[in-house]
Amino acid sequence: MRKGATILLLGLLLGAVGFAGFYYFGTASCRDMMREPQPELAWLKKEFKLSDAEFARISQLHAAYLPQCAARCQRIEELSRKLQQLFSQATNVTPEIQSMLTERATMRADCEAEMMKHFWDVSRTMPAEQGRRYLAWVEQQTILRGQAMEEHHRTEPGGQPTHQHQM
Amino acid sequence: MNMNEGPEADDALRKVLGQWTVDVPLPPRFQETVWQRIAKADPKPEPAVWTGLWRLIEVVLPRPKFAFAYLAVLLASGVTAGSWAAHTKSSRLDSELSMRYVQSINPYRADASRP
Repeated sequence: MRKGATILLLGLLLGAVGFAGFYYFGTASCRDMMREPQPELAWLKKEFKLSDAEFARISQLHAAYLPQCAARCQRIEELSRKLQQLFSQATNVTPEIQSMLTERATMRADCEAEMMKHFWDVSRTMPAEQGRRYLAWVEQQTILRGQAMEEHHRTEPGGQPTHQHQM
Repeated sequence: MNMNEGPEADDALRKVLGQWTVDVPLPPRFQETVWQRIAKADPKPEPAVWTGLWRLIEVVLPRPKFAFAYLAVLLASGVTAGSWAAHTKSSRLDSELSMRYVQSINPYRADASRP
């Protein structure tokens, strides 16, 4: 009985040790990434196999891009707030609303153009093959996926637009 | 008394027992107590599953072939489960971080998929 119970416990212990060991070593890279000051950039380094020099350059580009992006976003938000105020007071599209809509659209276009420029800068810093892969992925995530309105009026392959407005 | 002494002895015993009268009163709740003692003394049969399991641990498991097979299966199961759990966690974290990267450069996007 003692021998049988010992083997039983030994088996359970071996299973637990096997689980814990493989889990620990299998998630070591995750823990390393999360310890980085910017885990999302650490992910970029791992995903696109960047060297330390490439990673340092991309981190610089990223750091330079973010404040400009934040400033543009803040400006768009201000315009949206003003538009909301005007919309709640008006009964029709006034010239002021029209001009503000145009300004916001221009600001958004600038924002997207700067974003695209940043993507190209980043992709050029990567090895050629990884740069192409990065561009393909980032385009899918940003420009080609469309924004809310286009997605609501997406055209089906048969030519029928699908209206999905949600109020 | 020998139990195999024959019918004459049985008749004599029956006679003696028939004449025997008990004068002492029975203690209170005598019958109930007797039945309780019988119920306690009666061993309940163990379920077949437990019996089989104990037999497996006591008899089968200590055999070298079975012991090695059992240990190998548990180790392999642990390793497989650990690898799978680590892979799931890594994939989830990769998705989360790719989403964070996209959101950091494109605030309009709330979701993202991995490359």
